Amino acid sequence: MITADKLIFEYPGLRALDDVSFKIASGSITALVGPNGAGKTTLLRCMAALDQPVSGAINIAGIDVLEQPRDCHRIIGYLSDFFGLYQRLTVRQCLHYVARAQGIFEADCAAAIEDVSRRLHIQDRLENSPAQLSRGLRQRVAIAQAIIHKPPVVLLDEPASGLDPEARHELAELFLDLQAQGMTLLVSSHILAELEAYCTDMLVLRQGRIVEQVAVKAPSLVKPFKLLLANPVENLLPLLQSLPGIKVLNSDNKQQAILQLDGGASQQHQVLKALIALDLTVCEFAPAASNLQDAYLQTIRHSS
Amino acid sequence: MNLNPEFERQLILECSQARLIGATIVLSAVFTLTYFLDDYRLGNITAQAALTLFMLITLLWGTRQSLDSIVEEYRDRTWDIQRLSALGPWQMAWGKLLGSTSMAWYCAGICLLVHALATDNPASLPLLFFYAIGTALLVQSAGLLLGLLAVQRGQLKTGSILILVLVGFIVFMPSLTDLTDTANYLPDNLQISSWYNLTVNAQTLHQISLLCALFWCVMGNYRLLAQDLGLRNLPWAWLGFTLFLVVYLGGFIPSSSYSFSLAAFAVCSVLTYVGVIVERHEPMRIKRLLDYYRQANWRRVGEELPLSALSFALSLPFAIFLSFQEQRYAWLDISLHAYPLAIALLVLRDCAIYLFFCFGKNPQRAFSLSLLSAALLYGILPGLFGAVGMTDISALFFPLWADSAFAALVFAALQCVLILRLLYQRWRKSV
Repeated sequence: MITADKLIFEYPGLRALDDVSFKIASGSITALVGPNGAGKTTLLRCMAALDQPVSGAINIAGIDVLEQPRDCHRIIGYLSDFFGLYQRLTVRQCLHYVARAQGIFEADCAAAIEDVSRRLHIQDRLENSPAQLSRGLRQRVAIAQAIIHKPPVVLLDEPASGLDPEARHELAELFLDLQAQGMTLLVSSHILAELEAYCTDMLVLRQGRIVEQVAVKAPSLVKPFKLLLANPVENLLPLLQSLPGIKVLNSDNKQQAILQLDGGASQQHQVLKALIALDLTVCEFAPAASNLQDAYLQTIRHSS
Repeated sequence: MNLNPEFERQLILECSQARLIGATIVLSAVFTLTYFLDDYRLGNITAQAALTLFMLITLLWGTRQSLDSIVEEYRDRTWDIQRLSALGPWQMAWGKLLGSTSMAWYCAGICLLVHALATDNPASLPLLFFYAIGTALLVQSAGLLLGLLAVQRGQLKTGSILILVLVGFIVFMPSLTDLTDTANYLPDNLQISSWYNLTVNAQTLHQISLLCALFWCVMGNYRLLAQDLGLRNLPWAWLGFTLFLVVYLGGFIPSSSYSFSLAAFAVCSVLTYVGVIVERHEPMRIKRLLDYYRQANWRRVGEELPLSALSFALSLPFAIFLSFQEQRYAWLDISLHAYPLAIALLVLRDCAIYLFFCFGKNPQRAFSLSLLSAALLYGILPGLFGAVGMTDISALFFPLWADSAFAALVFAALQCVLILRLLYQRWRKSV
């Protein structure tokens, strides 16, 4: 869906993006993470054809972004980190303007506004001016503007900043809803715990370079299992390795290990049975919870 | 009805019911007063007041509105919404230009209507309306153009730009007073002008000139908006504008290959200065240009080529042609037969000085620093050395003072080499 190839962007005296290449699958929600100044906003602005890189190529849904920026604008929705709203219009007028400017016919505007305001829970604010709204509501209006034309690709720069926990939860639900409708989302954020709720992939950017691209929630992948024993066992690792159908991913001590199972629930049952048969004092055997923050910090530590 | 969304938005902002009623009441009060002053009839005072109000409304208020229509987008951080929309540059240009000034035009329309009712010269009305509306559109379009140029340079305060417009307004005030003289617009008022070898009616020439100026102003807005929307364009419009000016202005001076070349050289040189001042100068743009050049990607080279470079390149053949002519300027008692090349090099030097400051730490001061440098190089330093009898040293700073054309060329070339070297070093540091 999205391909970036050897992207280089430079500010005077600073290479903000350095040979950035990646691919994003259709229908995914990718978290774009990295420390401040890593180049996240620059990357998103290049992808939205708002800034022009020195070299490289970006392709979104078959459109060469750098060659056909206006065609790209029709198929993307973009929420800037520092967005603005038309303060002298009502929310309805703002949405109507953006809908018309995105090529939606006058006759279809009302339905589009109704649909997007329902999704963003701003139906009762349509007659207010954005100046009268809280930061969270303004954020929702800005997101509504970005997706009113139902673009297949949505780029969001820090969409949850300034939102309260409830609004963040609603935002996560909205993103999952958009994903379910076939949209591909790229979300830049610092709040990793919140990204974990909905992201399927993670793109780590550091000093203008892609450090890692990982799938954080891929149903097709075999999930790791955590094994925890009540009592330590001296030869835990060889014991586990002797069992068929499992792979030991990590065994740091004599009481704990991370295993990877080949099959589904029946295989899980067989492994647990085998562990009990070995007289191991199993007190926990369950899928290991993946932690985006841990993965991110580990990646950042490895790269530095 | 599928109206232009930008025009519709501006209409909503400008033409609220309260404003429409308020403006009508205020204008009604003004014209009631002039009606009383005219001895209870629509007479000369009403007609003059209506025309003066029309000019004030369209030229000052309208221009401010068109200027703000773009500057406010930047100030309120809403410009990205428009850049990401499906609106084309043409839709955006006319939507902003006519939408933002819609309220001003509503009031101006009332003024024109009152003038039409009060004038004692109804035969002059069609031409008067043509000039009044055409001039107002031209100035408002120039306001939008100035706004676009200002925001591209990060200038988001309209105060200084408005001062510029106000100064222009005051400078052109005498001509505008002529505009209010309705006798100028009578059909039998025949004045003759010559353009190349053609004898034409001056009014017709003025009308065509006004339409051409309006066309190029709107074209400038279109191209700047297209640039901001990310559309890639070769500099055909600039090239076309240069050729138009050469042909148009060339027609007003005595016709010969020398005078035509002189007009062309002057136009290209002036446009080189204009181009270098109005364009955004980012060191990275030069880097991109050089990268495309190395890749032999000529289309991209054309797109990234600064307009000033194009104008300068166009001026060179004319400078060379003029250098080999034996003609003398009629209004100067000095021979400049080989000086055009030196002048071209001075233009290059001045542009390089401006770019040198643009690539520095305070690019917003580049213009004022360049003016200061020009004052030093053209006036103070040559004057200083000239006053103590060291005319050769004076020519080193202002080569046109040199007695020999070759010496002028050498001095100008030396200055160019020096400043271009400094410019290159500064550019290398900044990328």
